[in-house]
Amino acid sequence: MAGNANVGKSVIFNQLTGLHQHIGNWAGKTVEKAEGTLNYKGYTINVLDLPGIYSLTTYSIEELISREYIAVQKPDFVVNIIDATNLERNLIFTLQLLELGRPAILAVNMVNLLKKQGITIDIKKLERLLGIPVVPTEAIYRKGITEILDRGLELISSQLLISSLPKLKYGKEVEQEIEKLTRFLREVESDYPKRWLAIKLLEKDREIEKLIGTQAPEVIEEARRLCLRLEKIHGHDSSIVIAAERCYLASQITQKVIEVTKPKNPSLEERLNDITCHKILGYPVMIAILSLMFLTVFKFGNWSSGLLGSIFIDWQRVYEGFFGVSVFSSLGWAILESVFSLIQIALPYILPFYFFLYFLEDLGYLARVAYLTDNLMHKIGIHGKACIPLILGFGCNVPSCLCCRIMETERERFITGFLTTFVPCSAVTVIIMGLVGKFVGIAPAFGLYFLAILTIFGLGKLVSKVLPGEPTELIMEMPDYKMPHFKTVILQTWFRLKEFIFIAAPLVIISGLVIKFLQIAGWLDLIATILSPITVGWLGLPVITGVLLIFGILRKELILVMLATLLGTTNFAQILTPAQMITLALVSMFYVPCVATIAAFRQEFGWGKALAVTGFKILFAIGIGGIVYRLLSFFAQV
Amino acid sequence: MEGISLITLKEGKEAKIVSIIGGRAASKRLADLGLTPGTSLRVVEKAPLFGPIVVEVRGSRLILGRGLASKVFVEK
Repeated sequence: MAGNANVGKSVIFNQLTGLHQHIGNWAGKTVEKAEGTLNYKGYTINVLDLPGIYSLTTYSIEELISREYIAVQKPDFVVNIIDATNLERNLIFTLQLLELGRPAILAVNMVNLLKKQGITIDIKKLERLLGIPVVPTEAIYRKGITEILDRGLELISSQLLISSLPKLKYGKEVEQEIEKLTRFLREVESDYPKRWLAIKLLEKDREIEKLIGTQAPEVIEEARRLCLRLEKIHGHDSSIVIAAERCYLASQITQKVIEVTKPKNPSLEERLNDITCHKILGYPVMIAILSLMFLTVFKFGNWSSGLLGSIFIDWQRVYEGFFGVSVFSSLGWAILESVFSLIQIALPYILPFYFFLYFLEDLGYLARVAYLTDNLMHKIGIHGKACIPLILGFGCNVPSCLCCRIMETERERFITGFLTTFVPCSAVTVIIMGLVGKFVGIAPAFGLYFLAILTIFGLGKLVSKVLPGEPTELIMEMPDYKMPHFKTVILQTWFRLKEFIFIAAPLVIISGLVIKFLQIAGWLDLIATILSPITVGWLGLPVITGVLLIFGILRKELILVMLATLLGTTNFAQILTPAQMITLALVSMFYVPCVATIAAFRQEFGWGKALAVTGFKILFAIGIGGIVYRLLSFFAQV
Repeated sequence: MEGISLITLKEGKEAKIVSIIGGRAASKRLADLGLTPGTSLRVVEKAPLFGPIVVEVRGSRLILGRGLASKVFVEK
């Protein structure tokens, strides 16, 4: 299955195979190809979901993988899925796919949305013009899925010769050049069809030039001559000339099959778009929507987390009653505790957060957020899309690390990933609110958030300067608003939640065990003493914070929980000065990503980068913590 | 005559692309999304303070960063 991003490929793939690909109203999620199998009418069909791409050039690794797969692996048929409401643009890719000469089926998806937009598509005519089977589908309602399979099986059994397909012709001059070059290529051995090779040579495709250059250097020379001729005639680079030819053909086909009767009144979606993308209004609306999301998630999280916590304490009594209290039973308990601690973040905070986010994504709002914040993000060397992982980070840093895949280049992925680990997640919010907000005041609590945002900006600027490479410009589709499909949103939330638990669980359990072991062995106090030059000497905190910070690696809100346990009181003001509380909250916010985040970071960027970022964060937190403590103490005295 | 830069076009105005300057990568990305010389487009929205711009092209909407948009030259 191949096609542009955001056309519903993953939805169809999931329905075919029952596997679970990430779905949402947002371009570019399937980065790796996904495979699945299904049995249909006695056939075993292997389905491969290629990443969403716009062309088959060498511009990105996804495109390269896709075209190599189609040409070299020679699948029995390719299902090209396109967005019915966006026929013309999608057909540009279809034309490129047909150049590759494999049997193909066109699935025109989301036909249910056409009526509202006053568009009708003549499917039969489209079939005739393209020379391949065309199936209208409504993937989310499971309509047209079996037709795709039926037509595919038909295609295989009919043994239709691919060369007998009617050839789609480009403009006369270009066709002449293609034919000339195809003749030159007759002797060349390759998995790719000759005509396709000729087109790619005219597009100056580097991979193909290399491939042909080793076999027949004279062809490359001929191609160069022809390219120059095209460039002289059209005044543009030959690759652009070819691209323009395809666009022209796509638009001609579209005009022949499509009929549009524009609705007179602007639709609700249209008006919603006007408000949410408004020059001035758009921003307060965005802030309101996001604040509402955070507030709701946080309120719900606190409530349900407390509820789960009390259940958990009851279980501990049962467990100890059953297994007794010994070294082994407490290690066993440590495992359960780690698992439970994961559930205690996952269900109360991440679940509702994901739900909101996927709701907004399916609605089409996240693309608007990228639009509105692009300018701001450019100031720190990344573009508007990066706003999504950064927002996610306020809920939890783990999904935000995984979400960095939406960035185009390795450089931007890393910058975004690095910055998201500085976003105060819901666990940090628990500390800031429970310590600073409750005992010092709400203003200093917000001050800490402000400091976090300032830090992200400062570091973003710094990192984008230091890392080599040019920033990429934002280019993405602005999807139309559509009513979110609840089943999709709920499934999506559920699968991402599972992913979170699987990625985080191993490292959380291991570190839970290690810390428990240290505690049983009585080494925690020793470590606290070793750390005291930093915690006491530099940061001005009590000795026990060394222990707290070790526990915090597991889960940051444990810092607050352990503080209460170790002090034997929840009235922290009795023991800590306001300056100490602010410093402790600040250090907790920055000092280290929690193990779950480190696990996610490692998965996305490798151990080296994960450890480097962790190290940097520790030093950074200690540095800034000490400075802030001194400033606060100084002003407290004055 | 090279035309004027896309970013100077006012909201709601229609124009035709005459050329795209800049590197191969940039023009390739634009071409993939259907922005080639000869294409008609309409500026839908422009974000304030040199933010990105939204254009309607071939029946769909695209968000273009200001830097990328400045490389597209159009003719009314």
